[in-house]
Amino acid sequence: MEVALRVVAVSKRFGATVAVREGSLALEKCKIHAIVGENGAGKSTISSIAAGLVAPDTGHVEIFGAKLSPHTARAAIARGVGMVQQHFRLVDALSVLENAMLGVEPVRGFGRVDLAAARAKLDAVQRELGSSLVANARTGSLGVGDRQRLEIARVLFRDAQILLLDEPTAVLSPQEVAALYTTLRRLADAGRAVAVVTHKIDEVMEFADAVTVMRRGHVVSTREIDRAGDLHAQRRAILHDAFHDSEEASPVVARAGDESQRMLLEIEGLKSERRLQGVRLHVRAKEIVGLAGVEGNGQQELVEILAGLREATSGTVRARGPIEVVLEDRHRQGLVLAASVADNAVLGEHARFTRFFVLNVRALRAEASRRVRDGDVSPPEIDLPVAALSGGNQQKLVLARALARGVASEARVLVLAQPTRGVDIHAARQIHLRIAAAADAGAAVLVSSSDLDELRALCHRIVVIARGRIVGDARRDADGQWEEAASNERLGARMVVRGDVSIP
Amino acid sequence: MSARGTSVRLGLEADFWTIASGTAAAQLAFAALVWVYGQSPRAMTALVFEGTWGSAYGIGQVLFKATPLLFTGLAVHVGLRAGLFNVGAEGQLAAASLAVGVLGAHLPHGTPAIVALPLLAIVAAAAGALWAAPAAGLRARGAHEVISTILLNRVADAFIGLMLGLGLAEHGTVRTEEVVAGARLSRLDRFVHPLEGSAASTAIVIAVLFVAAILWVLPRTRRGREAELVAQNDEACRAEKIPVSRRRSEALIASGAIAGLASLGTVLGYKGYFEQGLGAGAGFAGLAVAILGRGRLVGIVFAALLFGTLAQGGLAINAYVPAEAMEVIQGVVIVVVALADARLRAWLTEKLRAIVVLKREGAS
Amino acid sequence: MSVFASIASLTMIAQTARTAVPYVLASQGGVWSERSGVVNVALEGMMLAGGLAGVAVARTHGPIAGVVAALAIGAALGAAHAAVTELGRIDAIVTGVAINIIALGGTRVVMRALYQSSSNSPSIDGFAGRGSSMVARVALDPMSFATIAAVVMTMLVLRGTRFGLRVRACGEGPLAARAAGIAVVRTRVLAVSIGGALAGLAGAALAYDEHQFQSGMSGGRGFMALAAVVLSGWRPGRAALVCVVFAALDALQGVLQGHARALQDLVQMLPFVAALVALAIFSRSGGTGGPPAGLGVHAE
Repeated sequence: MEVALRVVAVSKRFGATVAVREGSLALEKCKIHAIVGENGAGKSTISSIAAGLVAPDTGHVEIFGAKLSPHTARAAIARGVGMVQQHFRLVDALSVLENAMLGVEPVRGFGRVDLAAARAKLDAVQRELGSSLVANARTGSLGVGDRQRLEIARVLFRDAQILLLDEPTAVLSPQEVAALYTTLRRLADAGRAVAVVTHKIDEVMEFADAVTVMRRGHVVSTREIDRAGDLHAQRRAILHDAFHDSEEASPVVARAGDESQRMLLEIEGLKSERRLQGVRLHVRAKEIVGLAGVEGNGQQELVEILAGLREATSGTVRARGPIEVVLEDRHRQGLVLAASVADNAVLGEHARFTRFFVLNVRALRAEASRRVRDGDVSPPEIDLPVAALSGGNQQKLVLARALARGVASEARVLVLAQPTRGVDIHAARQIHLRIAAAADAGAAVLVSSSDLDELRALCHRIVVIARGRIVGDARRDADGQWEEAASNERLGARMVVRGDVSIP
Repeated sequence: MSARGTSVRLGLEADFWTIASGTAAAQLAFAALVWVYGQSPRAMTALVFEGTWGSAYGIGQVLFKATPLLFTGLAVHVGLRAGLFNVGAEGQLAAASLAVGVLGAHLPHGTPAIVALPLLAIVAAAAGALWAAPAAGLRARGAHEVISTILLNRVADAFIGLMLGLGLAEHGTVRTEEVVAGARLSRLDRFVHPLEGSAASTAIVIAVLFVAAILWVLPRTRRGREAELVAQNDEACRAEKIPVSRRRSEALIASGAIAGLASLGTVLGYKGYFEQGLGAGAGFAGLAVAILGRGRLVGIVFAALLFGTLAQGGLAINAYVPAEAMEVIQGVVIVVVALADARLRAWLTEKLRAIVVLKREGAS
Repeated sequence: MSVFASIASLTMIAQTARTAVPYVLASQGGVWSERSGVVNVALEGMMLAGGLAGVAVARTHGPIAGVVAALAIGAALGAAHAAVTELGRIDAIVTGVAINIIALGGTRVVMRALYQSSSNSPSIDGFAGRGSSMVARVALDPMSFATIAAVVMTMLVLRGTRFGLRVRACGEGPLAARAAGIAVVRTRVLAVSIGGALAGLAGAALAYDEHQFQSGMSGGRGFMALAAVVLSGWRPGRAALVCVVFAALDALQGVLQGHARALQDLVQMLPFVAALVALAIFSRSGGTGGPPAGLGVHAE
C-alpha cells in the first residue's frame, strides 16, 4: 500500500526532557494506524510533529514522498494533513460553519466570506461523515460528541488526505467510540490515511489495522494487526512493548464493600442550574465508589457542588465529616504553578499558620515537608516552584494536600475527580494505593473518572451518571468479582441511556 | 546545593540582569534621543552627571526626586503582586495631597511633630485608599482596574479643582494654606550641610524604611502571601476557599494607601502646602519603578534613584534637549524591562526543571 | 440664557456630534484591537501621536496629508504595540502604559523641536471653514463622515469578511486559531494597526477641531473610549452609541462656558463619573456580554 506520510528519525527535546528519540513512523493510505503508549511515552509529540505543529530538533517528515518544508502546521495543512487535537481545537464563540471553514474560507469580492459556498461544502462533508450539525449553531453549545464531529468535519473541509487524531476517545462513551471508528473506517476506505493516538488497547485490537508502540520517547515496535490470528497473543505482545514489565495492573481493591459501615456521604435529589437533574448517591465509610459517565453529564457539576464552588438549586448533601475535594484540572483548579511546593501544600490553610497577622513560616514549612514526604512527592524540595515538578508528582501533591486535611476526623469524605489523568502508570499506581489506604483508614471516597479500567481496579462499587442522574450501578459479588453490569458494554449502555432510570 | 539555595541564587541572577537591562536601555534611549536632537550624547551625559551625582546639591536633588517614587513604586508593586495594575497612583496621590495639605494647615498651631506627623500619615493613607476604593469595588464586580483607576485619576483632577475653587485654597490662589510647623518634615541639609539648598527631606529616610518594612512584611503575612497566590492562579485559590476578590480589593486599597503616603514627601517634606499638579507624574513613574525593582528593596531603591536621576538630569540638559525626553526614556525602560523579565522567568523555570530532572535521575 | 435652554438647543446637538467624533473613532480603534485579543490601553497615546502628526503635516502639506500622517503614525504605534506584546509575550497593559508615557513625553519633545514650545502648536485651519454656523460646520466636516464610515466599516468587516472572521477567531480562541493555520501574531498586528490608525485619526480630528495641538489634549478620551468598548460588550455599533452619550456629557462643558466656575469643574468630572457608574452597574449583571475569550492570551 502507498505510504501517505512518513516520519523519519525525528527527535524532540522540551527543555530537559526528551519527548521523542529518533522516532520513525509510516502511515499508509486506506489504513487506520494506532499509536499507543503510556502517558509521556511521546505519542502525542510524534503526532504533533507529523502534523507540522511541532518542529523536530532533528529528522523530518515526508508527505506523499516530499519533505515537509517549512515545518509548519500551515504547510502540512496545505499538503493534506489534518489533525484533531485533544485540546484548544474549536473557538466556542464562533458558529459551527465558521469553525469548519476557519483558515480556508471561500471568498468573493472585497474579501467577503462566500457563505453559500462554505455551507455547500460543509453539507458535502457532513454527508460523507454521516453527521448533521446545524451550521449556525454556536460551537460552545455543542456536546462532546458533536464537538468531535465538528473537529473531523473541519479537517475534511480542508480536503485532508491524512488524518491524525490525538486521544479522540478519551471523552467518549463506548458506543460513541464504536461510531467514531465506523466513521474513520469509512474515511480510510475512501483512500485516506488515518492515525489514532490512544492508550486504550481494546480499541486498537478491535479497530486498527496497524499499531506503533512507543515507550519513553522511543518507537519500540510497529506491527500489523492480524484479525485472523491469535488476538490474545498480539495483545500481550503490544502490552509487553508498551509497559515492558507489567501486564495490565493488578486491581488495588479486590473485594466488595462492607455494608455494615455507616453512611458518611448522603446526596439526595441534587439539582443544579444546567446539568444535574436530581442525583441520589450514598457512600459508606471505608467504601470507594466510582462515578462513571461521559464527560458533560453532570459529574463535574456534582464535584464542584461538593467542593463548594457551585450552588445546587435543590436537594441536599449530608456529610458526617469534612469533605475534601480534588478537582479535575489540577493546573487550573488545583495548583498555583508559579508558587512554591510549600505554599501549594497548604494552599488555603495559611490562616491556620497565622497568629496576630503574622505567618508562622517555620510551622508552615514543617507541615508542608511532612505532606510532601507522606505523599511521596519527588523531589521532596518544598522551595521549588510546582511548575518544576512532573505531572505525576504535581498530582501526588494535590492528593497529599487533600489527604492530610481532616485526617483527624474519622468521618471524612474524599471526592476525587480524574485522580490519575495525565499521570504515568507508576505514579497512577501509587496514587491508587494511597486512595485505598485512606478508605481503609475509614474515609468514604467518591472517584469520578472517564477511565472504566481505573474504576474497576480501584472501586468497591461503580455508579453511572447520565444526563444529570444516577442511572445504574455495578457491584462486586461476595468473592470480589465484578458482576456483569460492570463490563464495558453494560456500563457504556447506561452511560448513553436517554431515559429516566432510577436505582432502588 | 539545596533547591532553596539554587532558587535564591538564580533569583539574584535574574534581579541583576533585570537591573542591567533597564539601565542599559535607559542609556541607549538617552543617547539616541540626544543624538536625534543634534547633541552629543557624551557631552549631554556629562551634563546630566554634573547636575546629579556630580555635586552634593545634585545628589540632594536626586534624592528629593526619588522620594515620591519610592512610595509610588512600592504602591504599584503591592498591586502587581496581587495581579493588579494600579495606574491610579496619580489620582490617589493627588487626593491624599489635598487632604494632607488641608488638614495640615488646620491643625492647631503648636501641634508637636510627634502628633502631627503620624496623624497626617494616617490621613494620607486613608485618602489614597479612599480614592482607590471605587476601583477595588469595581474590580470585585468584574470591571478591569486599569480603566477604573485611570478614570479616577481624571476625576481627581477635576475634583481637586472643584475643591480648591470652593474655598479650600488660600484666598486668591490655587494652593492650600501653609501646614503648621509641627507637620513639616525637615530638609536634609539641616543635618548634612553639603546638601545645602537641595529639596531632599527626611521623607526619603521614612520612605526607604517604609519600603523595607512592607517588603519584609508582605510574604510573612497571610494576606500578603494569599494575594500573591491569587495573582498566580485565582481559580485554584477559589477552589481552596481563599477569598479571591477580597484579597484583590485589599491589595488595591493598600496600594492606594501607599501611593497616598507619597504626599508626605511632596507636601510635608517639600512645599509645605498643596497646589494643583504637585507630585504629578510620580504615579506613572511608579509603574516603571515597580517593574524594574521586582519587589526587592535594593531594586526599588535603585529604580527610584535611576528615575530620580533622569528627572533631575532632564532639568540639567533642558537648555539643549527637552526635559520631557526623560519621560520617553521611562517608557522605553518599562518595555525593555518587561521583555527581559518575561525571558528571565522562563529561563528560571527551565533551570529549576532541569534541577528536578537531575535530582530524580541521581536518585534512581 | 438658562442652563437648561443651552442644553436643549440645536447647538447642543451639533456640539455633541462634534465632540463625539474623536471618542467614536477611538472606540472603533479599541474594538479592532481588543476583538483580536490585544488589550489596548494605549488609545490615549495613539490619539496624541496622531494629533500632533496630523497638525504638523497639515501645516506644511494640507489637512488631507495630515490625516494620512495621523493614520500612519497610529498604525505604526498599533503595530509596535501588538508586535512587542505578542512576540515578547508580555502583558499588553505594560506595553500600553509605556506607549502612553512615551507619546505624552514624545509629543512634547517633538513640539519643542518644531515650534519651540512644548505645550502647544501654532494654529491650523483643519477642514472646516470658520464662520459658518456650528450646525453646518459639523454636518459638512469630512471627519464626521469618516467617523460614520469607520463604524460601518468596522461592523461590516468584522462580521462578513475573511479577515474579520480571522480577527474574531484570534480574539476568541488564539490557540484554536493557530491550530487552524492562522498566523495569529500577524493577524493581531494587522488588527491593532487598523485600530491604531483609527485612534490616530481620532487625535487628528480632535486637533483639527481645536485648530491646534496641545500637550495632553486627548484628556482621557482614549480611556473613555476604551470604557465604552467594555460597556458595549466589545461591539462596534454599541460602543459608538456609548461614546455619543459620553460626548453629550462632555459637550455640556462647552455649553456651560460663562457659568460659574464650580459648575464647570463639576461638569468636567461628569463623563468620567458617568463611565465609572456605568461600569459599576453593567459589569456584574453581564449586561455588557463578556470580553473576547482570548483577550490577553498569547498565541503560543
